[in-house]
Amino acid sequence: MDRFPRKKVTRRQFIKNAAAAIAMSPLFSDKTFFYYSLAHAAEEADLVIAKNGSPPQLLQAAMAPLGGMGRFVKKGQRVVIKANIAWARTPEQACTNNPELLSALIKMCYQAGAKRVAVWDHTCDNYQFTFSRSGLKEAAQKAGADIFSGHGQNVYKQVEVPKGKKLKRAEVLRDVLEGDVFINFPIPKHHFATELTLGLKNLIGIVWDMEQLHRIDLHQCIADINTVRKPDLVVVDAIRILTTNGPKGPGKTEDISEVIASTDLVAVDAYCASFFKHPKTGKPFKPEEIRFVKNAYDLGLGQIDLSKVSVKKVRAT
Amino acid sequence: MKGAIPYLRRGIQAVSFFFLLYLILKTAFPLELKIPVDLYLRLDPFIGIITILTKKDVILRMLPAFAVLLLVMIFGNFFCGWFCPMGSTIDFFDRILFREKKRAKSFDDQPLRRLRYGVFFFSIVAGLMTFQVMYLLDPISLITRTLVISFYPPAIFIFNYFLPQIQSFLPKNPFFVSSIPLPVFKVNLFIFVMFIVILALGVVRKRFWCRYLCPLGTLFSVFSRLRIFRRSVTDDCTQCQQCVRDCPVGAIPTEVPQHCRQQDCVSCFKCLECPPEAVSFKFGFPIWRTMNGVNLSRRYVLGSLAFGFFSALVIKTNPLQTESGLMNNRLIRPPGALPEEEFVSVCTGCGECLKVCPNNALQSTLLEAGLAGLYTPRLVPRIGYCEEFCNFCGRVCPTEAIRPLPVEEKRLIQIGVAHINKTRCIAWDTDKICLVCNEQCSYHAIVGDDKKRPIVKEEKCTGCGICENKCPVDGESAIIVYSFGAQKKLKPEASNNNTKSG
Repeated sequence: MDRFPRKKVTRRQFIKNAAAAIAMSPLFSDKTFFYYSLAHAAEEADLVIAKNGSPPQLLQAAMAPLGGMGRFVKKGQRVVIKANIAWARTPEQACTNNPELLSALIKMCYQAGAKRVAVWDHTCDNYQFTFSRSGLKEAAQKAGADIFSGHGQNVYKQVEVPKGKKLKRAEVLRDVLEGDVFINFPIPKHHFATELTLGLKNLIGIVWDMEQLHRIDLHQCIADINTVRKPDLVVVDAIRILTTNGPKGPGKTEDISEVIASTDLVAVDAYCASFFKHPKTGKPFKPEEIRFVKNAYDLGLGQIDLSKVSVKKVRAT
Repeated sequence: MKGAIPYLRRGIQAVSFFFLLYLILKTAFPLELKIPVDLYLRLDPFIGIITILTKKDVILRMLPAFAVLLLVMIFGNFFCGWFCPMGSTIDFFDRILFREKKRAKSFDDQPLRRLRYGVFFFSIVAGLMTFQVMYLLDPISLITRTLVISFYPPAIFIFNYFLPQIQSFLPKNPFFVSSIPLPVFKVNLFIFVMFIVILALGVVRKRFWCRYLCPLGTLFSVFSRLRIFRRSVTDDCTQCQQCVRDCPVGAIPTEVPQHCRQQDCVSCFKCLECPPEAVSFKFGFPIWRTMNGVNLSRRYVLGSLAFGFFSALVIKTNPLQTESGLMNNRLIRPPGALPEEEFVSVCTGCGECLKVCPNNALQSTLLEAGLAGLYTPRLVPRIGYCEEFCNFCGRVCPTEAIRPLPVEEKRLIQIGVAHINKTRCIAWDTDKICLVCNEQCSYHAIVGDDKKRPIVKEEKCTGCGICENKCPVDGESAIIVYSFGAQKKLKPEASNNNTKSG
């Protein structure tokens, strides 16, 4: 892990660097910088639900009680965001992440001092069409992040899944494994095969051979793959969700206008399940009714019972 | 000045070839180039004339070809020697491979020169009946097809091989870029062999292909007979025979080097390197007379026509032709393709659509569509599927064999229908939950029943093949797309986008 090889520093170089550091210092004296570093102190809740406001405001509001982005992203770190850009759909159809929110998330990472932010997904449709139609490539690149698609096998790495019950090994995006900070950025959607697509299911998109998981046992594989790398932060894009014809849509959408931030992926999924109505009973889903959430809880990935999690609801405006 | 001409010509040939290469590389995803990426094919009058005859309709995209033909009529054949990318390639390989070849005596090539007229008549007659041999021989289509099918995949392979090595030299970039999905084309070997054979013919004579076989060259020959920009020789000529030896197309007769066969001359200006400086190119009145031309006897012409006619008949009566072209239900044509019989007679097999297809779904046929449909595109869903919001294949087709449809219309073209093989399907065969096909389907054409087993709704299925492509069953998919005769347009689905439910 010798990422910064030690070099001998000559006097001349030292003076140069010192001069550069002094010249650069106004950049860091920005108000927001201090805001986040101060906010670091406060860790009021494990799961924050922000309502009312524009996507950037919601994100700000959701992150503050968690301790701000500065709690997760340290200066000079590499951040990897696993977004949901699986389908060639427009942002209004709510099959992919909200571009505004992604842009705000990336900017927030940079403000916290991230060296580089990469947005990844292994798209289901052709990546070129997916990236351009969803508007996420433009949004990510404007915000200064790199957006990558896992369409080539060279970006994956074979890993063992020691805690996996059914899935023993998988080829997983190398960047997700090696990035300093890993942010899971799902959008809740209806899903015909697994009832819902939530944060846990979003991680299927870091696997090379996604379709094979259906052959083994999809629900268990979703839980198993989440043992490979626990996300440092989960930000749920529930600004507009897809309630029918998921996951590809187009279907009915619903404006929830919420952003949920947490460190506990299972708790997030347990909360988000209640957005959707069970097709048979017509009542909101209980977390236990989604098998992969239950399986993940059984693997000890998080808390399924929301009463045992400190939940905080905030209003952005 | 005179000394610079060979360098200038080689330079222009190289530019022309690399421009074609550039256009082929740009025949890819955003497709936002200002100039049409199939420019060279659109400038090919041979294809232009043939497609008018086979389609019985003027193709607007091919009109620039007739401007080229007009220029050739006036100024003589400048295309072969200066611009043709196939000619450039042949020239290049002749130069590096067969350069030192000393020919003791120039043999009388009259029978061989007659050959290309024979091939021309043969291919036109056979082509207008069934066997599209003329498209196989058309140099522009041939070089495009060869570059796309035989040389593009190896190039990507090399790129992908060196990508990790290059990335390891860039320590500042901690993120990895995906390699490009390797394009695969089934018929690459056949096309490669044909290309090598054409190049190897240079052993016999320089530019063998151009002199004795190329149908486009033949067409230019016929039309450039009355050119006004001609070679002329003064009395200073010493009969040293240097121009006779140097002429790459053998247009100067050995006995009378003062003359030249104006229809064969490709205006390469090599004969300007004349020791007594007797040769020059001047504008003059067109002359019909030519020295030592080809002896196109009536017997020869009728013979080649008859040969073309009977070979076409033999191919037409072959069961391969009658059955596989129209009845092979695994032969799925690209969306917007003309009806099968018309399609094979208009498609030049140039491979542009194969290159542009973002999912590598289009493949060249070998015999699946019969001999008539050799090297025409078909959709192979197990290799790639038809992307919903893509209409690139129609946009790059030079002869509009695949019609250029707007995206909204194209996505509703039904090219086939999916069928589930219930004995292989994971959901039907076992109690596991799969439904990858339902998840991937863009048209809600696959629904799940109460036990979450997939069912196809034929009236919604467009046959795009994404289900067959993504099906996790090993080997042959458990859901297979079959075509059924003509393509048709489906009704647009009820728009339920953005309907808020509360």
